[in-house]
Amino acid sequence: MAQTAAQAIDQVPADHRIRRGHTPAFLLTPAGLILIVLVFAPLAFLCFTSFTDFNQRSLFTGEFNVTGFAQFANVLADDEFYKALLRTFLFTFALVAGSMLIGMGVGHMMTRLGGVMRYIVTFVLIFAWAMPNVASSIVWKWLFSPGYGIVNWMLSRLHVFGDVTNMSWANNTWLAFVCIWLLVVWQAVPYIAITLYAAETQADLSCIEAAQLDGAGPLRIYWQIIVPLIQPSIMVVTMLSIIWDFNVFNQIWLVSAGGPKGTTSTIGVFTYKKAFVDFNIGQGAAISIITTVILMLLTSIYIRNLLKSGEDL
Amino acid sequence: MSQHTSRTQTATERKPIFWDRLLRQTWVTIVAVFFCLIWFFPVYWMLITSMKPRGEMMSTNPTFWPQHPTLLNFQQALFATNFFINLKNSVIVTFFAVIFSIIVAFLACSALTQYRFRARKGLMILILAIQMIPGTALLIPMFIVFNQLGLLDKYAGLILAYIAGTLPFSIWNMRGFFLAVPDDIFEAAKVDGASDWKILWKITFPLVAPGVVSTSVFAFINAWNDYLTAYTFMKDQNRYTLPLWLASFSTPLTGTDYGGQMAGSVIFSLPVVVFFMLVQHNMVKGITAGATKG
Repeated sequence: MAQTAAQAIDQVPADHRIRRGHTPAFLLTPAGLILIVLVFAPLAFLCFTSFTDFNQRSLFTGEFNVTGFAQFANVLADDEFYKALLRTFLFTFALVAGSMLIGMGVGHMMTRLGGVMRYIVTFVLIFAWAMPNVASSIVWKWLFSPGYGIVNWMLSRLHVFGDVTNMSWANNTWLAFVCIWLLVVWQAVPYIAITLYAAETQADLSCIEAAQLDGAGPLRIYWQIIVPLIQPSIMVVTMLSIIWDFNVFNQIWLVSAGGPKGTTSTIGVFTYKKAFVDFNIGQGAAISIITTVILMLLTSIYIRNLLKSGEDL
Repeated sequence: MSQHTSRTQTATERKPIFWDRLLRQTWVTIVAVFFCLIWFFPVYWMLITSMKPRGEMMSTNPTFWPQHPTLLNFQQALFATNFFINLKNSVIVTFFAVIFSIIVAFLACSALTQYRFRARKGLMILILAIQMIPGTALLIPMFIVFNQLGLLDKYAGLILAYIAGTLPFSIWNMRGFFLAVPDDIFEAAKVDGASDWKILWKITFPLVAPGVVSTSVFAFINAWNDYLTAYTFMKDQNRYTLPLWLASFSTPLTGTDYGGQMAGSVIFSLPVVVFFMLVQHNMVKGITAGATKG
C-alpha cells in the first residue's frame, strides 16, 4: 500500500503532461475564439480591405471594387505618406530620448533621497502617470492656451521671448510639437523612473563604494557602473517606449489635430484622417498594414530582448 | 601607488566626507523639490482652475491661489451637460468588457501557467505581439463590419472592441500572479484526488484573487480611458462615453468653458487616479516581469 502511494507521487509529473492534455485546450478555447473573432479575423479583413477601393459610398451601399495593389501603389507614391512616416520616426526618437534621459535621472535621484522626499516624488510621479491622457490633453490645452494660458504668461514674464501672451501653440508646427512633446514626456517619465528605480535598488551596487574611493565622480559612476548593471531593464523600457511613442494618437489629435495643414500628423493621425475623415477606407487599410508590419518588426526586437534577459514565457 | 595614498588620506580625514555627503544630499533634495513642483504643476493648475470663478480664470494676471473659490464649475460640468447619460454609457460598456475579459483571461492563464504544452511559448509571444498592433489596424475592419451589422452607436459594438483590447493585456498581466503560486500546491491537490475543475475554483482562484482584482482594475482603466474607439464608433451624443464627453466639453451658455473643462477633467480623472494608486505596485511588476533581474 505504501509502495503504491509512492508510485502515485512518482507518476504525478508525467501524469501532469500526458493525461491532462485536453484540459489546457479546453481552458484556452474561450480566449482563442475571442482572439480569432475579434483580432485575427479583423486583421484578415483589413488585408482584404487594402485591396479594395472601399469608401464612404461603400459604407451605405456595400459596393466596392477589388483593385489589387492599387492602394499600396497610391500610398507609396504619396509624398505625404513618407513625410508622416519620417515625422513619426523623428518625433518618436525625440520622445524616447527625452523621456528616457529624464526618467533615468529621476530614477537615480530617487535612490539618493531620504524616505519622506522619495515618497513625495513617487506620489507626484504616479499622479502624472495615472491621469487619463484625454484629461491631460485638455489640461495641456488650457496651460498653453493663447491669451490666458499660464505657460504663455510665465514665458512673457521671463522677458526672453518678448510678449508671447497671445501666441498660439497649435498653429505653429514646431510649437505644436514642443507642446505635445512636453505632454507625452510628462506622462511617460513616471513609468520609466519608477521601473529603473526598482532595478537600481535590486542591483548589486557593492563596487560603487570602491569606485567612489578611487575618486570617480557621480556622473561617471552612474554611466560606467550603474547603467551597465541595470542594462536589461533599460533595454526593455526603451523598447516599450519606442512602441508606445510610435503609437501616440490621442495627445496629438486633441492638442493640434495633426495641424497646421497636416504638419504634425504622425502616421497614426495620417491613417486616421485618410480612413475616417476622408473615408478613403481602402487606402487607410493599406497604410495600417504597412504600419503594423513596422511595429511587428519593432516588437520582435523587443521580444527577443525579453527572452534574452531571462524571461520564461 | 598614488591610489593607495589617496585611500589612506580619505580614511584619516572623515570630516570632509561627511560635509561632502551632507552637501550632496541637500543638492539632491533641492533638485527633487524642483522636479516635484514642475511635475505636479499641471495637476495643481487643473485643480486650482476648476475652483476659480470665470472672471478670475480669464485674467491677464493669473492668481496662484483661488481668491474666491467656488464649486460653480463642478455644478456646470455635472448638470449643464450630458454627464450622467455619458457616465451610464461608460459604466455599462466598461463593466461588461472587463467582466468578460477577466473570466476568459483567468481560464486562459491557468492553462498557460499550470500546464506544459508545446505551443505555450508561441501563444505568450502572440499575446504580447497583439498588444502592439496600432489602433487603426483593428479599428478599420471593425468599423466596416459593425457598420454592416448595425453595431455602431450600440453598446455591443464598443464592448466587443474593448474585449479585443483588454483581453490580451489581462492575460499578460494576470499570468504573473499565477506564476507566483508554487507548483507543489497543485501537485498535492492532484495526489489527493481533486479534479481539474475543483483545483481551479477551490485552490487556484483564492490564491490568485489579488491578481484578478488588480488586473480588473487595469482593464477597467484601459477601457474607461479609451478615446479613439468610442470617438470612431459613437456618433450620437447620447451614446458618448466620458472621454468623448470631456473632449467635446462645452456648456450651452459659455461655449469653450475652461473652468468647466478643468472641473470635468477632475471628475473624470479622480476615480482613475485613486484606483491606480491602489494597484500601481503590481503594474510595475506586471509589465517588466523578469526585466529587473539585472
